[in-house]
Amino acid sequence: MNFSEKQIKSIFLIFLIALSFLIPAFVKNQSYIQILIVVMFFMYITTAWNFVGGFAGVLPLGNAAFIAIGAYTSTILFTQYGISPWIGMFIGGIISAIVGIIIGLPTFKLRGAYFALATIAFGEGIRILFQNIDKVGSINVGGARGILINYTGNSFVNFQWVSRVPYYYIILIMLIILLVITVYLMNSKMGYYLTAGGEDPEAAASLGIDVAKYKLIAMALSAFFTAIAGTFYAQWILYIFPKSVGSLDLSFEIAFIAIIGGRGTIIGPILGALLLKPLGELTRTYLGGTLPGLHLFILGLVLVLVMIYQPRGIQEFLTKLFNRFVKKIAKTSQS
Amino acid sequence: MGSAILNGILMGSIYGLTAVGLTLIFGVLKVINFAQGAFLMSGLFTTYWFVKLTGTNPYLALIIVIPFTYILGYYTQKVLINPVFESEKDVREPIGVIIVTTGIWYMLDNLALMLFGAEYRTINIPSVSKAISIFGLYAPLSKIIGFFISLIVSGALFWFLQYSKMGKAIRATSQDREAASLMGINQYKIYNVTFGIGIAICGIAGAVLLPFYYVYPTVGTHLDIMDFVIVVLGGLGSIPGALVGGLIIGLIESVGSQFISYSWTLEAIYLIFLIILFVKPSGLFGVKGEF
Repeated sequence: MNFSEKQIKSIFLIFLIALSFLIPAFVKNQSYIQILIVVMFFMYITTAWNFVGGFAGVLPLGNAAFIAIGAYTSTILFTQYGISPWIGMFIGGIISAIVGIIIGLPTFKLRGAYFALATIAFGEGIRILFQNIDKVGSINVGGARGILINYTGNSFVNFQWVSRVPYYYIILIMLIILLVITVYLMNSKMGYYLTAGGEDPEAAASLGIDVAKYKLIAMALSAFFTAIAGTFYAQWILYIFPKSVGSLDLSFEIAFIAIIGGRGTIIGPILGALLLKPLGELTRTYLGGTLPGLHLFILGLVLVLVMIYQPRGIQEFLTKLFNRFVKKIAKTSQS
Repeated sequence: MGSAILNGILMGSIYGLTAVGLTLIFGVLKVINFAQGAFLMSGLFTTYWFVKLTGTNPYLALIIVIPFTYILGYYTQKVLINPVFESEKDVREPIGVIIVTTGIWYMLDNLALMLFGAEYRTINIPSVSKAISIFGLYAPLSKIIGFFISLIVSGALFWFLQYSKMGKAIRATSQDREAASLMGINQYKIYNVTFGIGIAICGIAGAVLLPFYYVYPTVGTHLDIMDFVIVVLGGLGSIPGALVGGLIIGLIESVGSQFISYSWTLEAIYLIFLIILFVKPSGLFGVKGEF
C-alpha cells in the first residue's frame, strides 16, 4: 500500500465525519448526546465569529446579539404567527445580517480596543432592549421573562423532537455546511483580501483592495450564520430570555473559544470548543456544588496561559503533532 | 430634582475615580484593562474584610488597601501582561493584551466567588452613612467624603505625573516608548509601576464605595462597562477627561432615573457611547490620533 500525506489526511477526515454521524447509534445516554450538541453548537457559533474575529483581524465582543436576534425572530414568528421555525430561521438570519451591516459600517472604522468596546456596547444595548420591551404593538416580546415556546411533540415542520438525536444531526449538518463555506471562502479572493486587510489595512488598500467592503461582507455572513444558530438554540431549549441568548458572557465565551483554539484558522474553533466545553461541563457538574465558578476560573487561567505560551492558540502545536504523525504513517505505508 | 443632581455629581465623581486608573493605564500602555472592574472588586472585598474584622471605618482600611492593590497590580503586569506585551511589540492591533486582561478578570471574579460565595454583602457604618445637608439638599456623608477623596487622589496623581521623577518617566514612556528607553528608562518597569498605581486607585475607589455599595464577586462587571463609557467619553488617556466623563455619566444616571426606569437610562448611556465612538472617538479631552 502506498499513501501520500494528502490521501492519509483525507482518510482521516472521512473517518471523522463518518464517526460523528455514527455516534448516536452507539451512545444511547441522552445526556452525553446533549453535551455533544453543546460542543457542536459552540463550534458552529465560534466558526461564524471567526469570519470577522479571525479573518478580518478585529475582536468582536458582542456576537450574542446576533444569536438573540435570530432566536427572537423565529420564536416570535412561530409562537404568534404560526410560521415554521425553518422559515423563521432565514428571516432571522437576514434581519441579523442587515443589523450586522448597519453596525459594521461605523465600527469597522475603529481600531483595536475601540472596535472591541463598540461591539460590547452594541451587544449589551441589544440585550437591554429585549429586556426592556414587553410588547411592540400586538407582538409579545416577553421583556426580562422571555418567551416560552409551546411544546408540540415530534414535528419536523415545528422543529421539535422528544429525542435529542435529531438535534444532534441538525447541528452536525449545520456545522459541516458552515465549515465547507469557510474553507471555500478562505481559499477564495475574498479570503485573501480579508486576511490582507486584517494584517495591514493601509497596504491592502494601496493595492486597490476595498477592505471596508470585504469586512462588511464578512460581518453580514457572520451575523447571518450566528442568527441561524439562535433559532436552533430556541427550538432545542424551547425557552429564550435576554440573559440566555444575548448575554455578555456568551459573547465573551465565543471569543475565548476561538482565541484558545486559534483564531483565524479553520480548525481553531473546533479544537477550542472540543477542549473547553466538556471541561466546563464536567467541572460544573462535579464541582459546581462545592466550588461554583471553578470552571470559569480555569477558563480565565487557560486564556492567560495560552496568550503567554501559545499566542496562536492550541491549534499550532496540535497541527504540528498531527502533521508529524501523518508523515510517519506515509513513510511506513511506503516501505 | 436638586438632590438628584447633587447625588449625580457625588456619584459621578466616584465613577470618575474608578475611571482614572483605567485611563492612566491606557495612556501609558495603550491597552484597555478589562480586568479593572475585577481589581475594584478586590479593593471592595479587602476593605470589607478589614472593616468587618477590625470594626473601624473604611478610610482607615486604605493603609492596607493601597499597598495591597498596588502590589497586586505591579506583579500582575510583571508576571502576566509584560510577556504578552513584549511578544506583541510590533503588532499593529495588540489584541493579545486585551485578552490576557479579560482572562485575569475571569480568574479574579471566580476566585472571589469560590472564596466568599455569591451573596450580596453590605456593611452598615452609622458614623458615615448618616445624611447631612448641603444648601438644604441631603446626601450621605460617605458620598461627600468620596467626592473629596476623588478630587484629592486625582490632584495628587496629576502632581505626581507632572513633577516627580518617576512621573516624568511615566509621561515620557507614554509619549514615545523607544525614545524613553534610549534615555535610559526601563519601559517595562514603568509599565509595572503604572499598572500598580492604576490598580491602587481602584483599591481606593473600592474603599470609597463600600459604605453605600453592595459587595459581591461580579460587582466589577457593571462598573467596568460604565468605566469604558466614561473614559471614551472623556478621551482615553486623559485624567481630567475621566473625571468630567464620570460626572456626566453620574448625572445622566441619577437625573435620568427621575424620568425613566434605570434600565432605559442604561440603554441611553450605551447609545451615547456608540454615538461618541462613531462621531468623535477621541472624546471630549482626548488628543487626535489613530482610532
